[in-house]
Amino acid sequence: MRSLIRRLCLSGISLLMTTSLSYAETEIKVGVLYPLTGAAAASGVEEKAAAELAAAIINREIPAPPGLVAGIGLPNLKGAKLKLVFGDHQTNPQVGATEAERLITQEHVVALLGCYLSNVTATASQVAERYGIPFLNGSSSSTPLTQRGFKWFFRTSPHDELFVANFFDFFKDLETKKGIKIKTLGLFNENTLWGTETTKLETRLADEQGYSITEKIIYPAKTTEMTAEVQRLKAADPDVVLQSSYLGDALLSMKTYKEQGFTPRMLLANDTGFIDSEFLKTLGHDADFVLSRDVWSLDLGDRFPLIRLVNDLIRQRNNINFTGSSAREFTAVAVIADAINRAGSTDPEAIRKALAATDIPGQGTIMPWKGIRFDTTGQNVLGSGIIVQVQNAQYVTVWPLDIATHDIALPAPAGTKH
Amino acid sequence: MTPPVKFSAFLILFAVTVAFPLVVSLPTYQNFAILVLMVAQLGVAWNILGGYAGQVSLGHAAFFGIGAYTSSALVTLAGLSPWIGLVAGAGMACLFALVVGAICFRLKGHYFAMATIAVAEIVQVVISNCDPLSGAVGIYLPLTPRGAAAFVFSGKAPYYYIALTLLAASLLVNHLIARSRVGYYLRAIKDEPDAARSLGINLPRLKLIALAVSSALTAMGGTLYAQKELFIDPPSVLGTQLSLKIALVAILGGVGTLWGPVIGAAVLVAIEECSRIFFGSSGLGTDMIVYGTLIIVVAVKSPSGIAGLLRAGVQALQARRRPGVAAPQEVEERA
Repeated sequence: MRSLIRRLCLSGISLLMTTSLSYAETEIKVGVLYPLTGAAAASGVEEKAAAELAAAIINREIPAPPGLVAGIGLPNLKGAKLKLVFGDHQTNPQVGATEAERLITQEHVVALLGCYLSNVTATASQVAERYGIPFLNGSSSSTPLTQRGFKWFFRTSPHDELFVANFFDFFKDLETKKGIKIKTLGLFNENTLWGTETTKLETRLADEQGYSITEKIIYPAKTTEMTAEVQRLKAADPDVVLQSSYLGDALLSMKTYKEQGFTPRMLLANDTGFIDSEFLKTLGHDADFVLSRDVWSLDLGDRFPLIRLVNDLIRQRNNINFTGSSAREFTAVAVIADAINRAGSTDPEAIRKALAATDIPGQGTIMPWKGIRFDTTGQNVLGSGIIVQVQNAQYVTVWPLDIATHDIALPAPAGTKH
Repeated sequence: MTPPVKFSAFLILFAVTVAFPLVVSLPTYQNFAILVLMVAQLGVAWNILGGYAGQVSLGHAAFFGIGAYTSSALVTLAGLSPWIGLVAGAGMACLFALVVGAICFRLKGHYFAMATIAVAEIVQVVISNCDPLSGAVGIYLPLTPRGAAAFVFSGKAPYYYIALTLLAASLLVNHLIARSRVGYYLRAIKDEPDAARSLGINLPRLKLIALAVSSALTAMGGTLYAQKELFIDPPSVLGTQLSLKIALVAILGGVGTLWGPVIGAAVLVAIEECSRIFFGSSGLGTDMIVYGTLIIVVAVKSPSGIAGLLRAGVQALQARRRPGVAAPQEVEERA
């Protein structure tokens, strides 16, 4: 035991020495916090691969794909390389704060990125705020994060309220541009934090924008029986069923819809279970016509060559495709590099000012956004979600209309066979 | 150890801990020390119930969370000082513990442990769905104003001293209970509940006392966590993992010993932090493998906890110094 401790200490000291020796003036260190172990590790590892790809492009190890605007080098810092220092927060907020502090005080990072999970971003960004280090968040969606009055916090991703608001923008577009009129909504959400928060937002926005909710069902998550709920939905027969479910519940509901002979005129799901890779694998063509909110979709590459090019790069390096979260983390690394380059220095205050002045057009990124520009709270005001639809057993982007790859398809009226 | 030796050892320990933040100025190391103190305090609090009374609770996160939520809600909803919240949280946890204890202490052994897990889960679900407490979104505590009154500090040293004070207070309570009549009763309940009952010991009442004290101290730890991290949500302060960690430090260090949880906390936090810092960023889960392996090594090498291992070492040393005198089986009473 004693020798084990001694060996551990020795290896610790030697590691500390090597890290401090390898620090060079021409390296600009940026701390990156992801969940590399624990429940969200699968996402964290993909995000790490995406961030490393972004850094390789910035450091010109890989030629920048034509069309990429931000994060293609640091010409204003003559020869400097961006070095990402990764930390693992294990999905634990206290570990996130501890790691943030370590990266700032030990590794001397000039900025922090992360943390994917909103509750870890909450504590880690609070440490950055105390130390006066810019914190750029790429993929946490909890709305209050940018309502804290922080000076050093920036978020490129849209947040939950914007995502739900997108549903209603989508309805408006359907009415004005496609002639599909929507009046009644049926809410069908699960009862944990996410479902209940979504229900609240949907109810508020429906009231504000003059839609009537004809049925509101909050069902117990992980339920094994949905017949009664589906019968209520069938009886109300709203223009749109707005549904928030995790994978198991999503599959159960689809099965119950079929059993009960209920074809929702439009089923608009809230991400998660309906875009899980298992969802389509299990249902195949039975999932056709399902609409879901998403943040990113691979088929966007059909319309935007840049997305295809960057996705090809990560396929070559890591044999994975981008996902909504890894695409957003790739973008976050590009945005921080863009800010450091414009700041022309590694001074945190200069980087913060440059971040605040960020103005990147959407076409120059791999995101389906209008662009990246922060308001005074640090929230990107040009971001939005997308809506995908399962058509012919594949996800295709149908909204926003200006970036859609396919037209929205609606199921044949009830009673007829499709 | 003889009393004078013990006393001087205690004085040295006291001086070292008080001087630590003055000598070590690097925030990361200070933070490490704070984490050790915070976890140790929770282990010491758990030990009153789990160690002395032998009632293994795997739901202590409930009390921790109640402490964190009470003070945070008082700050954000009523604008009250977290110091008031600290006391209020301890009171709330105490009341809750009495209600829960009255029901759960009907169960014995594994069933009691399982019931405590269930209680903690229920509390987590209830708070997750409680709008005034921001439900699942969690409570963000203000970063300003800072200072002693607001219980928010720019530097690490104040948190260190608060954590140290809390740990010292918990150790003192633990020590007083161990030396008191209640302490003897509790140990009797742990070893021979039926014999204890036959001697007229009021089992339910004594278990409730142990639970109430333990929960109040745990809740104070929760308030400190909230004020240090300035953000709480149900998974982080009410999660099952936290409950397990609280029990683990005490079990790893030495159940039913005064210093066991402190030693356990130091070892556990060191393993946690070092394995993560050196192996964590690989994304291969190496840190978790190292962490798990080291815990297994400790558990196999010393089933009575690290404190037991140390005590055996000290006894062996004394026996060697005084040849002819057999090492006393139990030098100190188990306190």
